[in-house]
Amino acid sequence: MKINVNLNNIEFHKKYIYSKRLVEEFLKKHSYTQIELPVLSPVLIPESYLEIFKTKFKFLNKESALFLTPSPELFLKRLIVNGIGSCFYLGKSFRNSEIPSRLHSFEFNMLEYYKVGADYLELADELLKLLRFLAEKLGKPKNISFDRWEKITVTDAFKRYANFTEKELYEKKLFLAKARNKGYKTEGFSYEDVWSQIYNMEIEPHLGVNGYPTIIYDYPKEFAALAKLNNDGITAQRFEFYINTIELGDCYTELDDWKEQKIRFDKEEKRRKETGKIYHPMDSEFIDYLKKGLPKCAGIAVGFDRLVMVLLGVKKIRDLQVINIF
Amino acid sequence: MKVNAGNLKKANFIMHKGSVYQVVKTEFYSPGKGSALMRTKLKSVSTGKNVEYTFKSNEMIDTLDVEAKEVQFLYSDNESLYFMDPQTFEQYYLSKDIAGSIANFLKEGVNCYIYLHDGKVLNIRPPQSVRLKVVEAEEAIKGDRVGGAKRPVKVETGVSVMAPLFIKKGDVIVVNPETGEYVERAK
Repeated sequence: MKINVNLNNIEFHKKYIYSKRLVEEFLKKHSYTQIELPVLSPVLIPESYLEIFKTKFKFLNKESALFLTPSPELFLKRLIVNGIGSCFYLGKSFRNSEIPSRLHSFEFNMLEYYKVGADYLELADELLKLLRFLAEKLGKPKNISFDRWEKITVTDAFKRYANFTEKELYEKKLFLAKARNKGYKTEGFSYEDVWSQIYNMEIEPHLGVNGYPTIIYDYPKEFAALAKLNNDGITAQRFEFYINTIELGDCYTELDDWKEQKIRFDKEEKRRKETGKIYHPMDSEFIDYLKKGLPKCAGIAVGFDRLVMVLLGVKKIRDLQVINIF
Repeated sequence: MKVNAGNLKKANFIMHKGSVYQVVKTEFYSPGKGSALMRTKLKSVSTGKNVEYTFKSNEMIDTLDVEAKEVQFLYSDNESLYFMDPQTFEQYYLSKDIAGSIANFLKEGVNCYIYLHDGKVLNIRPPQSVRLKVVEAEEAIKGDRVGGAKRPVKVETGVSVMAPLFIKKGDVIVVNPETGEYVERAK
């Protein structure tokens, strides 16, 4: 890896900086409080599909482990429990093992915001207004209008684009058998891994390409992470949104049941261990905060670099940067 | 040999669903749901057609051991390109469908490399650049020289390349045969 300098990107970089100001302006106008946060933490939320960066604080012969945060969630939810209300963070997040590519950078800017009193689909209404505001000031892809969302459930998308019935999608054995028939390798792989492969191959090429940005919602509970489950017991209140096949953000109605969250944390931590991920202490205080009572809220994490890239019509994240490392 | 899909590289030859493909493009993708993925564009070495396929990054893929042999390009007909090993005089051929647009930039007699597996030619390894003489170029109009303007010129292999306006008939230009793009005027 090396430091790359590219001053040819300066005009796009200036627009990128401007787009940060625009987001701050919009969210503040809609009663969100902006928060500056640490990027180093002694504990993290266990997430089995994310790898982390580890470092340490050192003084004389004393050392303590610190980790670069892959998401600001552990900080922002503490503030919400303590009564801050709707709030947002726009700043750096870090994900190890992500090879720099068109859509990835191991160090990137994340826009994460929480709307108190709302559920995931209510947050979507406001998100559309934010996109419309940004598009007016920055530009947008020619084939996309922000007048409305195209909305589709995960179940309907698998039915329409990949020919899975609801039963085949949610019963793991049936799902893996169908995947095998379609030619996917399933031996030694989990439901989640094969699901993700088919989702990428057969579903994502249809998202955000029908004239409007697409919201795809209600994911199988295996992908619930920190989201509340629906009453059906098999899906979670989670959506992702897409423009021109590119995933730009991930939203949940936030789980407020500390017992359920503890079970999921334990499961994720176990899976991290099994898959040889870097060890980090679990944020058990996070559960204590949930015990105090998280107000009803929905939160979204937007890959901010990707969003600006799509709106400005540049091909790669790094085209927005004048200095980068890869 | 088996490799993790996450380690696939452009130009690798792999066995995929019972056929041989060459990797044209790879892109790492981590969706945060399920394991990381490797998106690829693969070219069938039997039909020359491209397909897109997403592998799980930890999926084991069979790669083929291939030999890169230096040969001389002899000539082409409507269907194939013909090469010869200058040491043994053994001849090889490759379908134009597989070679793709690279065939447009090969001059008879040039040396290049071909990929061989079990004595069969899988594909040509495109040289990074080729030097080609311009045989037709319209006169540039005065005042058109600013702003990096380009116009098509015909090179000795019979195809057109977009070249800057200062390139004239008789000049030798350097072209990237993979993209068909002008690189510079040969020194």
